Amino acid sequence: MIGDRILGVVLLLLAVVYGWEAAMFPEPFGGSEAVGPETFPLLLSVILGLSSIYLLVRPDQDEEWPHLKMLAELGFVLLVLAIFTLMLQPVGFIPATTLMVSVLCWRMGAKPLPSIFTGAGSAIVVYVLFNFLLELHLPAGLLKLNGG
Amino acid sequence: METLNFLLQGFAVALTPENLMFAAIGAILGTIIGALPGLGPANGVAILIPLAFSLGLPASSALILLTSVYAGAMYGGRISSILLNIPGDEPAMMTCLDGYPMALKGKAAEALAISAIASFIGSLLATVGLVILAPVLAKFALRFGPAEYFALFTLAFATLGGITGKNQVKTVVAACLGLMIATVGVDITTGNQRYTYNILELYEGVDFIIAIVGLFAISELLFFIEMHAGEGFKKVALNKLKLSMKDIIQVLPTSLRGSVLGFIAGVLPGAGASLGSFLSYTMEKKVVGKNGNFGEGDPRGVAAPEAGNNAAANGALVPMLTLGVPGSGTTAVLLAMLISLNIQPGPMLFTQNAELVWGVIAALFVGNLILLLLNIPMIGIFVKLLSIPPKYLMPVVTLVASVGIFAISNSPLDLYFMIGFGLMGYLLRKLHIPLVPVILGMLLGPEMEKSLRHALTLSDGDWTILWSSGLSVGIWVVAITGLVLPYIIGPVLRRRMAAAQDKEHSIVD
Repeated sequence: MIGDRILGVVLLLLAVVYGWEAAMFPEPFGGSEAVGPETFPLLLSVILGLSSIYLLVRPDQDEEWPHLKMLAELGFVLLVLAIFTLMLQPVGFIPATTLMVSVLCWRMGAKPLPSIFTGAGSAIVVYVLFNFLLELHLPAGLLKLNGG
Repeated sequence: METLNFLLQGFAVALTPENLMFAAIGAILGTIIGALPGLGPANGVAILIPLAFSLGLPASSALILLTSVYAGAMYGGRISSILLNIPGDEPAMMTCLDGYPMALKGKAAEALAISAIASFIGSLLATVGLVILAPVLAKFALRFGPAEYFALFTLAFATLGGITGKNQVKTVVAACLGLMIATVGVDITTGNQRYTYNILELYEGVDFIIAIVGLFAISELLFFIEMHAGEGFKKVALNKLKLSMKDIIQVLPTSLRGSVLGFIAGVLPGAGASLGSFLSYTMEKKVVGKNGNFGEGDPRGVAAPEAGNNAAANGALVPMLTLGVPGSGTTAVLLAMLISLNIQPGPMLFTQNAELVWGVIAALFVGNLILLLLNIPMIGIFVKLLSIPPKYLMPVVTLVASVGIFAISNSPLDLYFMIGFGLMGYLLRKLHIPLVPVILGMLLGPEMEKSLRHALTLSDGDWTILWSSGLSVGIWVVAITGLVLPYIIGPVLRRRMAAAQDKEHSIVD
């Protein structure tokens, strides 16, 4: 119930802001016509607005949301993916991937040592596969040996 | 005759050594993906699209690879259904009913073999159906004007929730979200910037390949961690295959009936593979009557839904190829692939890209043969894969998806977008907002808006043009029916499907 109500409020706000912006689009060069860049967005904002009001009035039963600890866990997983992205170019593919896969394995319940093996193994296999067989160059980062 | 010629040309494309190799690789990867619990065809294709892209494959090879993955995943889905009682996706659900009891009785190998044969028959017949029906429908669709197309796109969304869909309003919300994302970028007609906020990367809009991988693959990872972190699966042991000709003959009529029903369910917008397998199973139960022991490991109970869901999967390609309107999640993902390759699906596809379309159709025949050969003698290898714990597998799958995305443009920003869509996918799924309409909205948005503006320009802003021809009125009627019907028969169908499941569980528990 509460989940759908919050969703309804958020969507209603989105519909209003989205529609408002569409109405504010600058007039196209050569004067406004019957249909312009704002017609379709305005139509969408009306439909979304009506649907979100329906959700507010008749919400569904709530799905069970994970408790706080699990939410933190999921947030941590997203953070690990973001750190992987951040490391990719400056530090290089192999270390970034080793870290990402190992941490994910570990968070999914694997023991530390097999996690690191899986991480390093998959990093090296994917790197070799991409750089040498498929000739797609993944960033070598700090491991760059011959300037290539 | 003309069709036959085209098909022969198609085989010339499909049987080149490279394309044969891509079909085989696709079939193997697809089977693996389908076999893994939790990963279905839509996820599988989504994970592999960026890879196919970053490899810069020619259009026909990329499509052959991905349609083979699709077909393979439909085959593979039954492996986890039979051995683990865990369906990889919804259509594989019905296979659990008799497949798992058969496995419990020590007949796992037989169940797998029968389901492979039934899958083969289902796919094969549906591909024949595709060959016959698609060109006819494509010719018919050439008569569509912009108003009819606008109605048709609406129809695609209206029926997407499917007859079993729960809350149609949520399908509408999802479609709106997708369409809204599609409006981001520079407006083609006027050159106006819309919702770009002067961010250069948004000028060309949001790349739906990134959205697909985020919404499907990354959200799946999050769900996996929440549901079964660390947990392994208990697998039924595989016996030595003892299948006689008599066993095969027994399931032959079942497979034929299931295929026809499945194909029809696949072609109809919104019905899809789940309904295909459900209808085939229920009908088989009626036809066999008291002579069967359905729910306790009847081989016909394995053959019927498998023939049905594989036939439906290929049937769903008919509206996707001819109208540019996908009937299922996976075909939506395949549609994304087509659009990214600069190929506009729709009736013109059969005239403008005849070689490509027929090449892909021929590859479906080839792929099915490969799958049958793979799935009977080499089944043991795929079964072994099920013993890899997901705690190692899911991170590696996530890695493959991310590398693919990164390799397309070498841009870390794309990866951040992917992570963002992953979070969005998780939240939407938690709120029971279906993801497929979001994707479909992103895909169809530009074309839908173009047909609306085209139609309204022709009529000088008179909205009644949208329902002024008999054809468009017909499409609107179907669309509205599709939106309202689930409220009437949806609960009944869902109850029956749940009842079938419950009966099964009471036997197993």
